[in-house]
Amino acid sequence: MSWIDQLLQSPPGWSNFLTFMALGSMMLTITLGFVTYAILAERKIMGAMQLRHGPNQVGGRFGLLQTVADILKLLLKEDIRPAHADRALFIIAPILTYVPAFLVIAVLPFTEAFHFADIGIGLLYYIAISGLSTIGIVTAGWASNNKYALMGGMRAAAQMISYEIPLVMSVVGIILFTGSLNLIDIVNAQESLAFIFLQPIAFLIFFIAGTAELNRTPFDLPEAESELVAGYHVEYSGFRFAFFMLSEYVYLFAISALITILFLGGWHDPIPYLELDGPGLGAIWFSLKFIGVVFLFIWVRVSFPRLRADQLMEFGWKVLLPVALANIFVSAVIKEFFF
Amino acid sequence: MNGEVLVFLILASLAVIGGLLMLNLKKVVHMLLSLVLTFLSIAGLFIMLSAEFVAVVQVLIYSGAVTIMMIFGIMLTRHQDEQRVQKNRVRTWVVLIGILVFFYTMYEAITRFVSVEQASELHIENTKQIGMALYAKYVIPFELTSVLLLVALIGAIVLAKREEEEEVKQE
Repeated sequence: MSWIDQLLQSPPGWSNFLTFMALGSMMLTITLGFVTYAILAERKIMGAMQLRHGPNQVGGRFGLLQTVADILKLLLKEDIRPAHADRALFIIAPILTYVPAFLVIAVLPFTEAFHFADIGIGLLYYIAISGLSTIGIVTAGWASNNKYALMGGMRAAAQMISYEIPLVMSVVGIILFTGSLNLIDIVNAQESLAFIFLQPIAFLIFFIAGTAELNRTPFDLPEAESELVAGYHVEYSGFRFAFFMLSEYVYLFAISALITILFLGGWHDPIPYLELDGPGLGAIWFSLKFIGVVFLFIWVRVSFPRLRADQLMEFGWKVLLPVALANIFVSAVIKEFFF
Repeated sequence: MNGEVLVFLILASLAVIGGLLMLNLKKVVHMLLSLVLTFLSIAGLFIMLSAEFVAVVQVLIYSGAVTIMMIFGIMLTRHQDEQRVQKNRVRTWVVLIGILVFFYTMYEAITRFVSVEQASELHIENTKQIGMALYAKYVIPFELTSVLLLVALIGAIVLAKREEEEEVKQE
């Protein structure tokens, strides 16, 4: 039994409360650090791909403090609330959006030693909790009392329904091969062969549906700035706006980590039979794969134009869902005859 | 007071508060959000009973899917609608008596409930046990339910299709 299990099963008390607080804020600091530099990395890569420099003024040649300055600016801004907005919901909505984004990190196993909750249904937990953020986004759109915000919120809801189903269906193949919903078991099942080789179609579907769940280009219809001004957060400013941005990038963190865990073998070494699974190396392998996935997301964002709303729906229901169902069938056949 | 009782009290009162708010709030979207509070607290209660699979499905289906469907329903109709309260003294009394009778029956049922044996093995591989029971012991009810759902799905498509054809004819 690892020490986190002992901690989770210990009797309640103030010392345990403080330990959990410390662990939680540690993870929060890690994700905030990731968000700060993911935004910078995104702007730098976008700059390079569009033949310009990107941020290069604040914090040395590479603009290392650019995001910090941006966040400071957001915090110093005046907090504006529309006169006809629904006051309570306007305040609750950013919290409703952010809390699930941070909750899902609890089940992600980063390395063999560094993981928090080891629950049997980790994968299902992730999918269920991440769906709650949409309620926050729709609430934000409704509470702003603004046409554009409401349309952005509605688009977010429609998109979430359409793309969550292929997302869930695509991982069924992995569950079939592993025989478990536990994320740690799923990583352990990939010791010799990562699931991206066994389930390439599932990986593609998961990546596309994941991009849609993240509301990133080419699926960024809820916040399409050329059609909806800014989408559901058009009335938000300062700190509350920062919360929406933050939850978006925390989801980028979470879904990149989830892809690493589900398809790329988590902390195992990428080349099988190399026996490079020494202590401490797991963290390096995980980080390398994770950075690769994040880069892929940024690359897709720079490369593709936005889809039209009806094309988005048709693609989700008429292409992704049937392909995902066929993938389940083929996986079951392969599992039955070859494993 | 141990932690379990504390968590139970918090979750149970949140569920009740969510239900009460849903009945008493005036705007439809506010009602919906208080309903989400109730759903989530019930999921928490399931986790306390070691029924982790049921808890997560509760979040996935009720707080996720059902709520989004209701949001669509509200937004596509009159979403600024506010409920007007009509007072009816007779109805208030009838409802009060109904609540009292319900409370008494439930109270008696729970106090007289004698558990034959404590199920202590249920939390081990909860999901697997549910799967085994569904596909081995209760396979016929399971299949019947799936046929029922399939019929409902096809029925919905047929109904939507017919409306579309009628619209084309009218044009």
